[in-house]
Amino acid sequence: MAEITPFTYRPGDSSLHFLDPRLKFFIVSLISVSLVGAGFISTGICFLMLVLSLKKTGLHFFSILKHLKLFLALLFFIFLARAVTTQGDILVSVYGLALTRQGLTEGGLVAFKFFAVMLTGLMFSVTTRPSSIKAAVQWFLKPVPLVPEKRVAVMISLALCFLPVILRQAKEISDAQNARCAHLQKNPVRKTMGLVLPLLKRTVLSADRLVLAMESRCYRDDRTDPEFNPSGREPLFLFGTLALCLCLLLC
Amino acid sequence: MTASTDLKMTVYASLFVALIAVGAFIAIPIGPVPIVLQNLFVLLAGLLLGPVWGLACVAVYLIIGLAGLPVFAGGTSGLGKLFGPTGGYLLGYLPCVFITASVSKGLGKKTAFDILAMVLGSLIVYAAGVPWLKAVTGMSLEKAVMAGMVPFLIGDALKIVAAAFLAKTLRPLMKL
Repeated sequence: MAEITPFTYRPGDSSLHFLDPRLKFFIVSLISVSLVGAGFISTGICFLMLVLSLKKTGLHFFSILKHLKLFLALLFFIFLARAVTTQGDILVSVYGLALTRQGLTEGGLVAFKFFAVMLTGLMFSVTTRPSSIKAAVQWFLKPVPLVPEKRVAVMISLALCFLPVILRQAKEISDAQNARCAHLQKNPVRKTMGLVLPLLKRTVLSADRLVLAMESRCYRDDRTDPEFNPSGREPLFLFGTLALCLCLLLC
Repeated sequence: MTASTDLKMTVYASLFVALIAVGAFIAIPIGPVPIVLQNLFVLLAGLLLGPVWGLACVAVYLIIGLAGLPVFAGGTSGLGKLFGPTGGYLLGYLPCVFITASVSKGLGKKTAFDILAMVLGSLIVYAAGVPWLKAVTGMSLEKAVMAGMVPFLIGDALKIVAAAFLAKTLRPLMKL
C-alpha cells in the first residue's frame, strides 16, 4: 500500500503506536464528531496538537500538504463557495458575486475543520498496523446483528493481500501495452479495455488459485479471535480526549 | 449456496474491494481529464457479484476506509473523507451497486440491460453526491450539478460501455 500512498502505517515507538486500536478508533471518531461543533480557537488548539502528534510519528506537515494537494484544492473550492454564498457585509463584488465578511469567516472555519478531521484520520492510519485495524473492525462488528464479523475480517485480509498483486499486474500490463504502441490508441473505450480486461483476467485467475488453495487447506470462517495488548496508557488518553472534546464543544 | 461457492464469492468480493481501492489510483490518460477507474469497478462489482455480494464488497470498502486504511482517493481515510464534500459519492456507491446488480439480474444479464442498470446506478451516485456537495459547500443546486456532475458524464458514459463489454467477457471466466 505504501506504493500508492504515504499515509500508510509507519513503524515507531510513540505512545500512539502502542495504544489499543479499539480505543484509538473511538478517540478518532470522538474528536472528528466534536470538531463539527467547534469554533476557530478550539479547532486551532486541536490542529496544533494533531500536527505535533503527527511529527512524532515521522510525518512532516509540509510533506502531508504536498500529498494532499487534491484535497486542499477541494477545501479551497468549499471556502470560495461558502464565501460567496453566505449573506452578510459585502467586502468585494466581482461579476455579481459578492464576497462577504461572514462568508470568509464561515468558509475558513468549515475548511479548517475538514482539514483537522482529515489529519485526525491520517494520525490513526500512520500509527496503526493494518492487522490491528482489521482486528478492531472485527471487534466493533461483533455486536452488529446479521453481519458476519469473521468473514468481514477475512475479506479485509484478502483485499490487503490483493492490493500489491493488482498494482504489480497493472504496471506490467501498462508497460507491455505501451511497448506495443497502445498509448497511440485514440479510442477511449478500447484504451480502457486494453488495460482493464487483461488486469481483471489475471487477477480473477489469481483469485481462483487462492480459492483452490484455501479449499484444499479446509478453510473455515470459524477462526481464533484476535488478541489485543493494551499499553496501560489507555485511561490517560481517554480522559485527555474527553477534556479536548469538551474544550472543542464549549470554546 | 454451498460452502465452496460461498468461499469463492468471499474471495471475488475481496478482489473487488481491492480493485475499487486501487481504482482511485489507476488513471487512463484520455484528453485533459484522465479516466479514473474506481466507479468502473463499483459497477462491475454489481454486474459480476450480484446484489448481496456486490453490496457486501462496497460496504467492506467503506468500512476499511472509515476504519483508517488509506483506501479512498488520494490515499486518505477516516470520517473526514466519508463526511467530507465527496462523502455523498462514496456513500452513493452502496445503493448504486445494489440497484445495478438487481436490475441486471432481474432483466437477464443482457448487454443492453446491463448498460441500463449501470446508467441507473451512476445516476444514483450523483443523486447522493450532488446534494451532499451542495450541503457542504452551501452553493445552489444548479451550481453543484455543474461542478459535481456535468464534467464527469462523458467519462462515465465511456466507463459504462467498457464495463458492459468487460462483464460479458468475464462472466464465463468467473463461471457466475
